[in-house]
Amino acid sequence: MLSILALLSIGVPILLSLENNATKQSVWDSFMMSTSFVFFLNTIFAVVIAAESVAGEFSWGTIKLLLIRPWSRSKILASKYIATLLFSILSTVLLAALSFFTSLLIYSTDTIPSMVPPGIGAGKYVFLSLVCSYVDLFITVAIAFMLSTVFRSGGLSIGLSLFIMFTKGIFTMIFNPEKYTWANYLLFNHMDLSRYLVTNQGPGGATIGFSISILAVYYLILMAVTWVVFKKRDVAA
Amino acid sequence: MQQEPVVRIEGVSKKISSKTLIHNLTLHIPAGQVFGFLGPNGAGKTTTIRMMVGLMSITEGDIFVGGHSVKNEFEQAIAQVGAIVENPEMYKFMSGYQNLLHYARMMPNISKERIHEVVELVGLQKRIHDKVRTYSLGMRQRLGVAQALLHRPKLLVLDEPTNGLDPQGIRELRDYLRHLSRIEGITVFVSSHLLSEMELMCDTVAVIQNGKLVDVRQLKGQGEESLAVPIAFDVDDLAQAARIVPGGKVEDNVFIVQTVREEIAEINARLVQAGVKVFGINKVTRSLEDQFLEMTGSESIE
Ligand SMILES: Nc1ncnc2c1ncn2[C@@H]1O[C@H](COP(=O)(O)OP(=O)(O)O)[C@@H](O)[C@H]1O
Ligand SMILES: [Mg+2]
Repeated sequence: MLSILALLSIGVPILLSLENNATKQSVWDSFMMSTSFVFFLNTIFAVVIAAESVAGEFSWGTIKLLLIRPWSRSKILASKYIATLLFSILSTVLLAALSFFTSLLIYSTDTIPSMVPPGIGAGKYVFLSLVCSYVDLFITVAIAFMLSTVFRSGGLSIGLSLFIMFTKGIFTMIFNPEKYTWANYLLFNHMDLSRYLVTNQGPGGATIGFSISILAVYYLILMAVTWVVFKKRDVAA
Repeated sequence: MQQEPVVRIEGVSKKISSKTLIHNLTLHIPAGQVFGFLGPNGAGKTTTIRMMVGLMSITEGDIFVGGHSVKNEFEQAIAQVGAIVENPEMYKFMSGYQNLLHYARMMPNISKERIHEVVELVGLQKRIHDKVRTYSLGMRQRLGVAQALLHRPKLLVLDEPTNGLDPQGIRELRDYLRHLSRIEGITVFVSSHLLSEMELMCDTVAVIQNGKLVDVRQLKGQGEESLAVPIAFDVDDLAQAARIVPGGKVEDNVFIVQTVREEIAEINARLVQAGVKVFGINKVTRSLEDQFLEMTGSESIE
């Protein structure tokens, strides 16, 4: 998985350079395009790992041997979750570093980047965009991890999480916070924080503080459900 | 002084929705024994074992392993247990050795030497570096036992370990369970629905049916010499024998006396002196099977 991400992170800036007059384009534009593209795959891989980490043990039957180690269920689940997060951090750092250095080799550092809004440093902007993408991934992974624990089916939780990942834009359109006040409290409308990089106004006039609070509350609920279900579950067959 | 039992199951019940799977089960497993847990399919053996190892919650009562409560001190309790619950499932895409290494890392202080030791104990040296998916059921069973023994547990729990094994495999399993209990001093708790097997490998057998403990029976061990057991005398004149030896009874064409070992020769001498021909003297051993059917035969599975 990591090698696929690495290949793409190197490959995308190179492929883009074949299209354009590379030396005239900005490093930052190439970096933005490459990371936003490869990040989809990054999220999918993280979701697959999150979904399989618990559900896989159930479907292989190895959960029984795992749970009779001298560790509480909370600790076992925590180690699964931390391992998933470590993978996602590693893969994100890898894709960012490779995209950056490949772009640096090919593109110009002097050109003014067209994808970065004025009034903000290019480096700071792309870094914050990446952080926003990671927040999105982080929440999607929490959803996948919860579904994996609750349904004990890797396929179902991968499917549902990816469905949410790709359709949250449509959800925002259907349950538009401009139209319905309660839609302000929907998770989907707040998962993309990157809009706050260019404006102070989020969906339905929300502030960044509000969006972060909503994300935090949902995250805590997801984790609580995951932990309670895993701790209480009777493991049979 | 009697040794503290390794496992104390104290008034344990298990309810799932409105169904009671285990009714108020109390059972003590003494140290150093091969302890059998016998019952027909669906009796609640697996359910009890799952509660013992913390895979299922205990609705009522508690189970103590080495004095630690499975409910409240799970980590201390389970640290003393090695188990296979139902099928020995391992990571198929890894080798047997990688599986053992994986489990060893989750437990404190297990050296590489210990891994080799358990591999040798279960006789898997030749195939341990092959992928588990290429293993036969018997080999997976051995790997399961190896996994369970890694941390030198006080108690080894095996749920129907002979299921699916051929007679050769069953025999080998029996031999190394005996070895573990005799040489390594591990208490073995083994469930089965096969009576004949239990008779061969266990010191004591607890019988469970419909979630209730029916009986606990010593199969081997102390007191055998001084215990009065039924002895069958195969004689030519049953009526005459009954007159000479009071307290005996005639059954199935043999003369049966309840007596201790020392008396057998004396009874024989008296019969012979009185001119009764004795063709054979046998201990009447009701097999566990007979006893089991006697105990459980009348009740149907709920
Ligand atoms: N998760 C469950 N939910 C409801 N009933 C169950 C569950 N697991 C087992 N049972 C029932 O409990 C009884 C005991 O099952 P089990 O402990 O597996 O028996 P054994 O291992 O002795 O064959 C059976 O009647 C079975 O149908
Ligand atoms: Mg069973």
